[in-house]
Amino acid sequence: MANYILYIVIAVGLFAFAALFALFAVYAERKVSAFIQDRIGPNETGKYGTLQTLADILKLLQKEVINPTAVDRWLYGAAPAIIFIAVYMGYAALPWGPGLVPSKINIGLYYIFAIISVETLGILMAGWGSNNKFSVLGAIRSVAQIISYEIPAGFALISAVVIAGSLDLQQVALQQGVLFHSRMKFLGFWDVTKIGGLFSWNIFQAPHLMVAFVIYFIASLAESNRAPFDIPEAESELVAGFHTEYTGMRFGLVFLAEYSMMFLVSMIGVILFLGAWNTPLPNIGGFALADWTTGTAWGILWIVLKALVLVAVQIWIRWTLPRLRVDQLTDLCWKVLTPLSFICMLISAVWRVWVM
Amino acid sequence: MSAAQILFGLMSFIALASAVYVAASNNLVRSVFMFFVTLFALAGLYVLALADFVAVTQIVIYVGGILVLILFVFMLSGRETLEAMQHQPKRLWKLANLPAFLICALLLIVLFNLFMNTNADALPWIKQAVHNNDVIKAENTMTENIGINLMTRYLLPFEVISILLLMALAGAAHLSRKEAGA
Repeated sequence: MANYILYIVIAVGLFAFAALFALFAVYAERKVSAFIQDRIGPNETGKYGTLQTLADILKLLQKEVINPTAVDRWLYGAAPAIIFIAVYMGYAALPWGPGLVPSKINIGLYYIFAIISVETLGILMAGWGSNNKFSVLGAIRSVAQIISYEIPAGFALISAVVIAGSLDLQQVALQQGVLFHSRMKFLGFWDVTKIGGLFSWNIFQAPHLMVAFVIYFIASLAESNRAPFDIPEAESELVAGFHTEYTGMRFGLVFLAEYSMMFLVSMIGVILFLGAWNTPLPNIGGFALADWTTGTAWGILWIVLKALVLVAVQIWIRWTLPRLRVDQLTDLCWKVLTPLSFICMLISAVWRVWVM
Repeated sequence: MSAAQILFGLMSFIALASAVYVAASNNLVRSVFMFFVTLFALAGLYVLALADFVAVTQIVIYVGGILVLILFVFMLSGRETLEAMQHQPKRLWKLANLPAFLICALLLIVLFNLFMNTNADALPWIKQAVHNNDVIKAENTMTENIGINLMTRYLLPFEVISILLLMALAGAAHLSRKEAGA
């Protein structure tokens, strides 16, 4: 019985984390965008506007949930929940530190990849159920984009998985730091098994994974519908895309899903390419920095820090680059990213057999 | 009753109920979304049978791929076509339905026969496997097992399927190509 209580506590904790993260990410996004556009951003509510998003959430909670007359009531009502739950379920398999993972499953990465694809179904439900042409167009654009970008993302991830030799995210994480006792080589020639740190991260163990990481990062922007790939929500053309008709907390859920998705894809990128919960500090002779900064609390700190850096880059990109046109978007996916990711996968296989 | 049995009952019920809804509903798009529930419940049943890899594959392929494709077809086809499809005469007992009834009845008879004639608790091959310790436990990792089997014992079917998929890809590319001069 105690087990079940623990499961529920962990699930609620993950949800609380996702919600808190969204709260701060929205604030960060507004401040960063203000900085980039030479504005001040929110500054009235609380010191430096820190309470702004909290106030926004309170407003959303109080708002009336409007059901337009012509909507398909079931699909329209269920869609935001499905969109959010799909992303939230992905959190179940993320490792947070050495030996610290909500659900220890040996197909962790595959599971996350599968459960994220359920989100597209929720988006289609929202678009079709809203009975609004802007919503349908937004949903179709969004799904077309997510499905086509899943291919380069998937192959970039596979090239990392081939190097790691496991789909278990905890195992992948373990192989990139001092806790791993088999041989690790920096760029394939320098034995860094005892040194660890930055040098044993996957992108430095096999340098072509840097390309794979960039491919994955670009594709993950497209999968979370972020600019420059935000044609599903293109304000100038489609009002707000698939969530045009949503009000109140249903709109809030769609937003929460987007921000949770940002964190989720950043976490996957960190786990597979950037050393997961391993410290960036190497052991230098007598200074065993890597050994000192490895542990459960350190692990949580490192992984969250790294993921937050990636989220910051996502925000930065959103407010710097203009939106891609739809033909540029598909060109980029099929003519650049997909062939490159195939090459990465091939190099990975060769690297695994002959270099590692 | 153990937790596994309760879960089995629950998920079979969801799978069956949603499948009946898919078949009986008048609203085509809703029934496609309900099909998603059926597939998800089936994936849950696979997990209960310790086939987690199959369960996840089921979600990737059916939910992420096939269902979304079906929905695309719906969204790209005109409203009139859909309306016409939804308002077909709904008489059950007519001569045109006879083959369907025959197939259903025969399948039911076969299933019923199977159910009556097998003693599911004491199948010889299961007993043999348990005796040889040739069983999968909850803590076993299945990925390696699947990978090794695909590359050794089932290599030929695996390659044949990949050639089939390649043919489908080439065919699709050919069909969608612009005709020269058209």
